[in-house]
Amino acid sequence: MAFLATFLIRRLAQGVIIVLIVSFAIFTALRLVPGDPARLILGPMASDAVVEKTAQEMGLREPIPVQYVHWLGQVVHGNLGTSFIKARNGSEVAGSRDADALGDKAPVMDLLAQTVPMTLQLAALALVFAFLISVPIGIIAGLNAGGWFDRFALYLGSAFVSIPNFWLAIVLALVVTAELQWIPSIGYQGFAYTILPAFVIAIEMSPVFMRSLSISVASAKQRNFVQLADVRGLSKRRILFRHILRNAAVPVLNIFGVQIGALLGGVLIVEYIFNYPGVGLLTVQAVLQRDFPVIQGVALLSACLFVVINILVDLVSTKIDPRLDF
Amino acid sequence: MPSEAALPSAATSVKSRGETTGRRMWRATYQQFEFKLGLFFLILLVGAALIYPELTNESPTRMHIMQRFWPPAFLPGGHWNHLLGTDQLGRDLFIRSLIGLQNALLISVSAVIIMFVVGAIIGLIAGYYGGIVDTILMRITDAQLAVPVIILAITILTVHRPTPESVTLVLALSGWPAYARVTRSVTLAERQREYVRGAKILGATPLRIIVQMISPNVLPPIAFVAVLDIARMMIFEAILGFIGIGVQPPTPTFGNIIADGRQYLINAWWISTMPGAFLFTTLLGINLVGSSIERARNKVLEGRI
Amino acid sequence: MASPQSATLLSIQDLTIELPQGSTSRPILSQISLDVPADGVLGILGESGSGKTTLAKAMVGWVSEPLRVTSGGVRFRDQDLMSPGVQKLVRPRIGFIGADPGNAFDPTLPVGVQIAEKLLAVSPATDMAEAKRRVVALLDAVRIPSAARRYAEFPNQYSGGMLQRAVIVDAMINDPDLLVCDNIIQPLDVTVAAQIVRLLRELRQRINAGIVFISTSVPSIAEISDEMVVMAGGRIVEGGRPMDVIRAPRHAVTQELITRTPRIWTGEAAPEPQAREAQPILQVSEITKTYHVKDRTRFFGRQSVQAVRGVSFDVFQGDNFGLVGESGCGKSTLSRLLSWVEEPDNGAILFEGRNIAEMTGRERFAMRRGFQLLLQDPYNCLPPHMPVGKTIGTALSIHGVGRRETAERVRDAMAEVGLSPDELHRLPIGMSAGQRQRVNIARALVLEPKLLILDETLSSLDPVEQGRLLNLFERLQARHGLTYLFISHDLAMVRRVCTRIAVMYLGKMVEIADTGGVFYDPGHPYTKALLSAVPTLDQRPYRTEDVLLDGEPPSPIDLPPGCSFTARCPEAIATCRLKEPSLWTRHPGRLAACHVTAPSATAA
Repeated sequence: MAFLATFLIRRLAQGVIIVLIVSFAIFTALRLVPGDPARLILGPMASDAVVEKTAQEMGLREPIPVQYVHWLGQVVHGNLGTSFIKARNGSEVAGSRDADALGDKAPVMDLLAQTVPMTLQLAALALVFAFLISVPIGIIAGLNAGGWFDRFALYLGSAFVSIPNFWLAIVLALVVTAELQWIPSIGYQGFAYTILPAFVIAIEMSPVFMRSLSISVASAKQRNFVQLADVRGLSKRRILFRHILRNAAVPVLNIFGVQIGALLGGVLIVEYIFNYPGVGLLTVQAVLQRDFPVIQGVALLSACLFVVINILVDLVSTKIDPRLDF
Repeated sequence: MPSEAALPSAATSVKSRGETTGRRMWRATYQQFEFKLGLFFLILLVGAALIYPELTNESPTRMHIMQRFWPPAFLPGGHWNHLLGTDQLGRDLFIRSLIGLQNALLISVSAVIIMFVVGAIIGLIAGYYGGIVDTILMRITDAQLAVPVIILAITILTVHRPTPESVTLVLALSGWPAYARVTRSVTLAERQREYVRGAKILGATPLRIIVQMISPNVLPPIAFVAVLDIARMMIFEAILGFIGIGVQPPTPTFGNIIADGRQYLINAWWISTMPGAFLFTTLLGINLVGSSIERARNKVLEGRI
Repeated sequence: MASPQSATLLSIQDLTIELPQGSTSRPILSQISLDVPADGVLGILGESGSGKTTLAKAMVGWVSEPLRVTSGGVRFRDQDLMSPGVQKLVRPRIGFIGADPGNAFDPTLPVGVQIAEKLLAVSPATDMAEAKRRVVALLDAVRIPSAARRYAEFPNQYSGGMLQRAVIVDAMINDPDLLVCDNIIQPLDVTVAAQIVRLLRELRQRINAGIVFISTSVPSIAEISDEMVVMAGGRIVEGGRPMDVIRAPRHAVTQELITRTPRIWTGEAAPEPQAREAQPILQVSEITKTYHVKDRTRFFGRQSVQAVRGVSFDVFQGDNFGLVGESGCGKSTLSRLLSWVEEPDNGAILFEGRNIAEMTGRERFAMRRGFQLLLQDPYNCLPPHMPVGKTIGTALSIHGVGRRETAERVRDAMAEVGLSPDELHRLPIGMSAGQRQRVNIARALVLEPKLLILDETLSSLDPVEQGRLLNLFERLQARHGLTYLFISHDLAMVRRVCTRIAVMYLGKMVEIADTGGVFYDPGHPYTKALLSAVPTLDQRPYRTEDVLLDGEPPSPIDLPPGCSFTARCPEAIATCRLKEPSLWTRHPGRLAACHVTAPSATAA
């Protein structure tokens, strides 16, 4: 128990530092770009005076570290700021002359609250698909290393890895939705709209899992104690599940931690193409429109997610393999 | 006692005496059909990308107004002088794909070289020295990993005009942490090995040890993964182009060609699909070649050839 | 002694197993025929490469790809063991113990649980609680301390000797009729191996099984078997009762194996130390080294591992100084300290009278030419990507020698160690262990050192190669006036070559004396135990039963007060638990750290 406590405290502390660094970096990068956010909000028609006044009120003229600390203070209170662009009622408003229009903008927290569950749903379904594809193939390929199934898995993996995800999205939207009319996909009006985007993401993620799993299963199968287990009288089934898979799991778990980053990236593009109302779509729009608060909020969120997932992966790994030392 | 995997098994050592590793690797690679298939694709497509544009007087920006929206050659209505068809401005899709491939290769290969070199140097230093140097370097690496690459890319490119150079840099920026991490962990392991200790005892300086001893052992497998990454970077570059922040038109990149074609998807679906298929086949070639080399390497290391 | 009436448990007839290689096949076993009786011990003696392990595995029906049985068969109780149906039925009746205890268990599950799992698999009638009880009882019977606690521990928490015992428990847990032991003592330390052999002899009385004991060591087979056979090149070349075979070996291979078994107590006289100069070439004075590792059970705690706890000795020019000890004694740490790859926490090391710690960087760099270190592992000690000529030359170029001179000296060094000049551009990958060690030696020689430290350098080589390299060392010593410091666990080799020996235990020297003194007049109970455990065909001067140790050394983290050997010492007295003994001079030139054998005049 004490070990668990030290481990968690240490990793969480490191995690906080990482999150701080990341958010500061994004924060600064945004403000170093040419172009005035206040101008962006108010549009080209507003006068310079109004722009300047708004900027002062929004604290945009202060030195960047000071702004950062202010923002951080707000974050700790649960306030992630207000979008520059999106309005509460869901529409996007940019460039209204009226400085008061600011008050109608949607708080970032709300925007996130609306979109995060959607993305979670998408990501969860994508992971399910990815596992359904890669786990059986990876295990069977690993157990028959060198055989025809292994080669088939190799071809399949290479094919999946070579498919550009946005192209697949377009082709699937064209064929499955437009031509065959089997599954809807653009926008969101029900759970069915999650299927195609999730499938595209799953195709992107599976090759890495397939290969990593097949390599680690093949390697585990070669280990002395696995071959010996047969002689000792253990049943094949027991050997597979209790020994081979356990030992094969750790390298795969590590890959999983890294793949989460790729997952987030894939989500962005796929949501954009399918117009799926999740965090990804929000982010792409925010970046293209220079919506600072939203970008900052998303960056903060994803950094936290990254830290938490890696801690979880390490924790589960030590549970499985007692030799590991974190 | 030597570990299970370290020593070649007695059963194969008789066969392997006399043949160098290089020749065995070549044999193991060449045996595989995947390798030949992949190589075929690559030679065909990359070769075409490098040679064909010189030979033809077709250009990616030349518009044939009377030949707009022609489907690919193998479909009814298509013609052989526009192999993949034409787009909404009558531009030949085949040559656009070839030029797009040229650009993609240029950018991806450069990006991979940069990220490999930077990542390897950082990884070697962190892995060799350990301690506080390692901790600092790794925290920086972690911090960068925590930033979703796409956000970073989009942010930077929205701001600075996306030129091939800045796109290359963004790609390199996205990739170096993985290389640093992997290099570091392999260096850590290699550092413990006897011959490194032997060199230290002789009085070798850290620089000599890192450059002469550790790198030649540690870097080749990583360099090889880097080659596979070229494919990954090409996809990434295409994605950036697709969103609109890659290399800008009129220079054709896969991203902007496919993005352009989106609005004509129902009627002229080939504008988006054909270049994508072209890209897919090239990447398939790279990946097939890459995985077959990797399998060959495993075969050789485990003594199965 | 197997009686003529005892049933034949396992019968092997004309067994040939081959390994396909391309278009041909190489026979690993050729027409092996032998019978294993239902009780009694059959010993199988053979060198590495003779096919022993393949035979051992065939005896339990384990012939895996790509090996193939091309003729003959193995019958267990008159059933064909090569058929999968029979294997399934019969495996619960057979136990197999292999040579690699470190890899016999799944590292992710507790040891006891895995053994219980096996028991449940072969006797489904048992339930988990009962299985656990039986496992713990058997772990205790093989003298694993705190058996109940050990049940739930993982393989990486067990020492080598304990793992081997655990594997024995695993093989025996289901009361097998046949027990096959393949090379089980080779990877172990000498005293641990002796304990295992003793354990097997005891267990033999308890269980009702036919035992097959396979080994490369003639003395251990002689000690434990009722009948033995000798294997060479995949065939059985000789057989009979051990005493008969050893006294009158008929086959050349047997004769060679017997001759090669070192004679510790008879045979040549021990080498004598030479006349001394006043100044020792190496002086080590009370060095200590403690490592601090994270204590994972507490918040910020650290545990101290006292690897070296105050070591002092002198090495004089022209000496062959031997340092012996078993795993965990601190030898490897000491070797790192001596080569100044790490610095001692306290104490001093003086080379040619000068304290290394007080040298400047430059002086230390220059000093490195004076003494060199040769390491054990021939496969890892050379950079795999550099041609050997370059490896040898690197030593010189580091020290600023010019190209032409380097090339010349490299050639000379290679000639001296017996490497032909064609090897200059060769990569280490094709070379044998012996050749690699020669490259190593050349690399050290090329700097013209005065002192060579050999850290288990010969341990991975086969006896023939060892012999050749020892001759080389002798020649080099005569020619260049070298001084050697051998760090080894191989007492037989040390006996043959060294003039003075130091015995190390748990980070301290327990005895330092000339070779004759150590062997014939040991001053420390640990030395006695060590010597009694060395496998030999000669008559031993002490009975093993009197001096052999029990159990494991205490962990270097939690050392009890007093002499660290007390818990295992057959001669411990009250003082031993209270006060740590230091090295007393028993005779001129012979020191020991023991209260019991210390001259009473200087008793505390």
